[in-house]
Amino acid sequence: MDQGNIRNFCIIAHIDHGKSTLADRILQITGAVSERDMRDQVLDTMELERERGITIKAQAVRVSYRAADGQTYQLNLIDTPGHVDFSYEVSRSLAACEGALLVVDASQGIEAQTLANAYLAIEGDLELVPVLNKIDLPAADPETHARALADLIGDTPDHVLRISAKTGAGVREVLEAIVQRMPPPAGDPAAPARALVFDSFYDQYRGVVAFVRVIDGALEAGTRLRMTPAQTPTGRLTAGESGYVVTGLKRVGDLRVGDTLTGAQRPAPSPLPGYREAKPMVFCGLFPMDSDDYPDLRDALEKLSLNDASLMWEPETSQALGFGFRCGFLGLLHMDIVRERLEREYDLELLATTPNVAYRVFTTAEEEIEVHSPVDLPAPQRIERIEEPYVRCTVLVPQEHVGAVMGLCQERRGVFVTMTPIEQRQQIVYDMPLAEIVMDFYDQLKSRTRGYASLDYEPIGERESPLVKLDILLAGDPVDALSMIVHRDSAYARGKGLVERLRETIPRQMFEVPIQAAIGGKVIARETVKARRKDVLAKCYGGDISRKRKLLERQKEGKKRMKQVGNVEVPQEAFLAVLQIDSSGKR
Amino acid sequence: MTPAAPPPAGGVRHLYLHLPFCAARCGYCAFVVEVGREEVRDAYLDALLAELAQEGGRLGPLETVYLGGGTPTLMGAGRLTRLLEALAPRLAGGAEVTVEANPETVDRTLARALVAAGVTRVSLGAQSFQPHLLAALDRRATPARVRAAAGLLREAGVGRLSLDLIQAVPGQTMADLERDIAEVGAIGPDHVSWYELEVKPGSALAARGAVVDPDLAEDAYLRVVDALEDMGYRWYELANFARDGARCRHSLAYWTARDYLGLGVGAVSTVAGTRWRNAPGVDRYVAALAAGRRPPRTREPLAPATRRRERWMLATRLDEPLDLGWAGPPDHPEAVPRLAGLGLVEAGAGTLTLTRRGRLLQNAVVQELMDFST
Repeated sequence: MDQGNIRNFCIIAHIDHGKSTLADRILQITGAVSERDMRDQVLDTMELERERGITIKAQAVRVSYRAADGQTYQLNLIDTPGHVDFSYEVSRSLAACEGALLVVDASQGIEAQTLANAYLAIEGDLELVPVLNKIDLPAADPETHARALADLIGDTPDHVLRISAKTGAGVREVLEAIVQRMPPPAGDPAAPARALVFDSFYDQYRGVVAFVRVIDGALEAGTRLRMTPAQTPTGRLTAGESGYVVTGLKRVGDLRVGDTLTGAQRPAPSPLPGYREAKPMVFCGLFPMDSDDYPDLRDALEKLSLNDASLMWEPETSQALGFGFRCGFLGLLHMDIVRERLEREYDLELLATTPNVAYRVFTTAEEEIEVHSPVDLPAPQRIERIEEPYVRCTVLVPQEHVGAVMGLCQERRGVFVTMTPIEQRQQIVYDMPLAEIVMDFYDQLKSRTRGYASLDYEPIGERESPLVKLDILLAGDPVDALSMIVHRDSAYARGKGLVERLRETIPRQMFEVPIQAAIGGKVIARETVKARRKDVLAKCYGGDISRKRKLLERQKEGKKRMKQVGNVEVPQEAFLAVLQIDSSGKR
Repeated sequence: MTPAAPPPAGGVRHLYLHLPFCAARCGYCAFVVEVGREEVRDAYLDALLAELAQEGGRLGPLETVYLGGGTPTLMGAGRLTRLLEALAPRLAGGAEVTVEANPETVDRTLARALVAAGVTRVSLGAQSFQPHLLAALDRRATPARVRAAAGLLREAGVGRLSLDLIQAVPGQTMADLERDIAEVGAIGPDHVSWYELEVKPGSALAARGAVVDPDLAEDAYLRVVDALEDMGYRWYELANFARDGARCRHSLAYWTARDYLGLGVGAVSTVAGTRWRNAPGVDRYVAALAAGRRPPRTREPLAPATRRRERWMLATRLDEPLDLGWAGPPDHPEAVPRLAGLGLVEAGAGTLTLTRRGRLLQNAVVQELMDFST
C-alpha cells in the first residue's frame, strides 16, 4: 500500500456518545465484518466490555475503503476507551494516529471528557474531524452543538458532520472526511525499521502479541527483529501502518508498552521516544481468598499487566490477610475492572482492601517516603508533614445543578478555581484531594445531579494536608487491612460511620466482637457485634442425618467467603465498607 | 460416656417403621406422606411385613422399635395390633416400643389397644396449645383435644408419654410461648421434644413464603431450655428433654451413630457403613414387595471420614462428654484450645465436653472442629 493512501485514526467520544456503534458501522460499510458476523460492539472483545457497554482496551483494526475519488485507502482504526480512568490509554492510541474523529452526542453536547481528550488530540497535532452523532434522536439539537463543537476546536460549524451511527446516515461522509481531511502518515519507508509498541497482550498459543505503529521502514515477514534482547520472526507491516506482531516472546515481562521494535539486520540508530510511564493514582491490596492461590495470583497479575501497562503491583504481607499484592491503578473503575478480570479470566477469588492514594511523607529525620498503604505510614511523632495528591477536577453540569456540585466539592475539601458557561451548561473547576474522589465522589456527583454531571480530572501535584491514620480494632486487635489515612477534621465522623457500618456487615459470632476506631492509640468510636446466643440445627434423626450433614457442608462453603481475622470471621464487604462512608460519617 | 456401637455380629438392634398415611398434610410437613388412601392401607401393611421378612436376617434382638409417620395412629387399632404382634418375637427384654400419635386420632379404644399390643411409649404431636398457632401450622386438633389425648393415654397405662412442640411459628409471641410452657407443665409428660419450626422446601409454609424470625427463635429456644430445666427435665439433647430415666432410647441410637434399620416407604437405614433410603411413592413400594422384590432404593456408602464427622455432629447434641476414642480425633485440633478459651468446650482426658454455651452454639462449634467442606 502506498503510504499516501494510509490513514491512521481514532475515535474520541464521551462514554455513551456512540463511539463503538460508529466503529461497528464503519467496519460494516467497508466490508471488514460480514453481515453474518456483525454484532454490536465488534471491537469490544472482552466479555466485560460487552457487559458493561464500555471500551476498556485500545484496539486496532484495518479496513480497506474505496473512496469517491476512485482510489482505495487503507484505514487503520484504533478504538479507544472513553472513561476518565483510561485517558492514559487514549494518549497512547493518539500517538499512533494522524487524525481523530471527535464524536459528540447531538442531544447531550460536549462533556467533560470530550474536552479533555480533544485537548490531548490537539496537543498531539492530530487532525480533528468533528462529528455530531445521534441526529435521529428527537432531543437532538445539532445546530447549537455544532457551534459549540466548532468553537472548541477552532473550526467552522459547517465542517461538523451530522450523522446517526445507529441508522448509518452520514457514515459514508465520515469515511470521506477521514480520507480527505486527515493526512497520511509521515515517516521514511526506506529508513531502518522503527515500530512503536502501543499495546500488547499475552496469547496462550502465540505468546506475547504486540500492537505496533510502524513509524519508519518496514517489518518484513521472517526478518529478525531486535528488541531488547530477544529476536523473533514476524508478519509484515510498512511505514505508517499499524498492526500487530506475534513476537513469540514467552515472558510477559520482556516487552513494555512504549518499546521500539527494529530490524536486527539493519537496526535503527535511535529508538522512538517512548511513553511516559502511566502513574497509578489509586492503590489497594489484593489478597487471594485461599492462600494457596498466591502463586496463581502472581502469574495472573504478570499476564494481565502485559495487557495493561498502567497496572502496578508489588508483594504485600498483611497480618490480617496473609500474602498478597499491593496494586496501583489509574482509578476506581480500573481497579474494579482489574479485579473482575482476575476473578473471571484467571478463576481466582480475591479480597480487595479499601483503596487509597499515594502519600508523600516527610519525616523528622528528613527522609522522604512515598506511602502506598496506610500500614506503611510512620508513627505520628516521626512525621514532619504529609503531602497528598491533588487533582484539578472539571465538572460540566446544567445550571440548575451548580449548587449541588459546589456543595459536594466543598464537602470534599475542594478549592474553587473557576466557573465558565459552555453552551447551556457551566464548567465548574475545583482543585481537590484525589483521596476525596477515590471515595465515592463520582457516584455522589451522579446522584446529586440526577446523572447530568460529567467529570474529568488531571493531577496537579501534591499539597500538604493535616492527615492522620485511622486504625480499626476488631476484638481488641488492630486490623491492618482496615486502617485508612484521613483528614484530621473528618477522622471522628469517619471513624464513627465506619464502625457502625462494620457492625452491620460483620455477622454475629460465637463471642462478642467489639469494633473500635482509634487514632494513635486513642479510641474515638466503638460498636459491638453481639455474640450469637444460639446456633443449633432444630432436629436430627435417622431419616435426615445425610441431609443435615450436607447442610453443614453447605454452611462451611458459605464461610469460605469469609476471611478469618484473628478469631473473627469477616466478610469481604467489610473491607470495602470504608468506601461507603463519606467525610461526614454518613452513607 | 458415649456408649460404644454394638458389635455388628449381634445384628441391628433398632428398627424404624414408616407409616405414611395422614388425614391432611400439615403446613410444616415435607415428609413422605400419603393423604387419605384408605384403600391401600392393608396392602401397605402387607408390604411392610414383607420387607420385614426380607430384611429380618439383619436384625438381632430389638432394643427399640419406633413407629413414625405420617400418622401411625391413622392405621387404626386393628392394623397396628397386627404389626406389633408380628414384631413381638423379635423384641429383646425391656424393649422400648414407641408410636407417634396425633391427638385427634386418639380415643380410649386405640389407647388401650396400643398398650395391649406392647407399646411402651407414645409421642403425642401437640405442636402448640394456642389456636392461632395450630391454625398457622394447619393442625386439626384443638387445644382441648390435645389435653384429652394425653389424659386418655395416661389412663390406658402408656408407660412413657412424650409431647412434641414447635416454636418460632410465624405469629408466635413470647407470651404464647409461656402459655405453651404452662400447658406442658400441667400435663407433665415424661419427655418433651421442642423444635424450632423448619420451613422446608416443598412444605405448604414454604409455599406461603413463611419465614422464621431468627430473634424470636433465639429467645424462644433459650426460654424453653431454661423453663424445662426449671421444671426438672434434663436437657439431654439439643431439642429433647426428659425426666429421670425417660430419655428416648431409640433416638439415642441415632445420636450415638448406632446401626438402624428403617422399613417402609421413604425410610432410611444405616447398617455397617452403608446408608440406604427407600424411594418415596407408596404404590411403587407396595407393587415391588407384592412381587417379591426389594423396594426401589438409593444407596449412600459412608466413608470412614464421613462416619467420623457424623459421630461428631450427632453425639455432640447430647449432654454427655464426647468419647474421643469412639468418635475419633477432630479434624482441626488447633480449634480446641481456642474454643476452650471462649468457654465453649472443656477438654478432658480422652473426652471433649460442650459447655452450656457451647451446646447452644453446637452447630458452630462442630463446624470449627470438623471439616464439613466437601
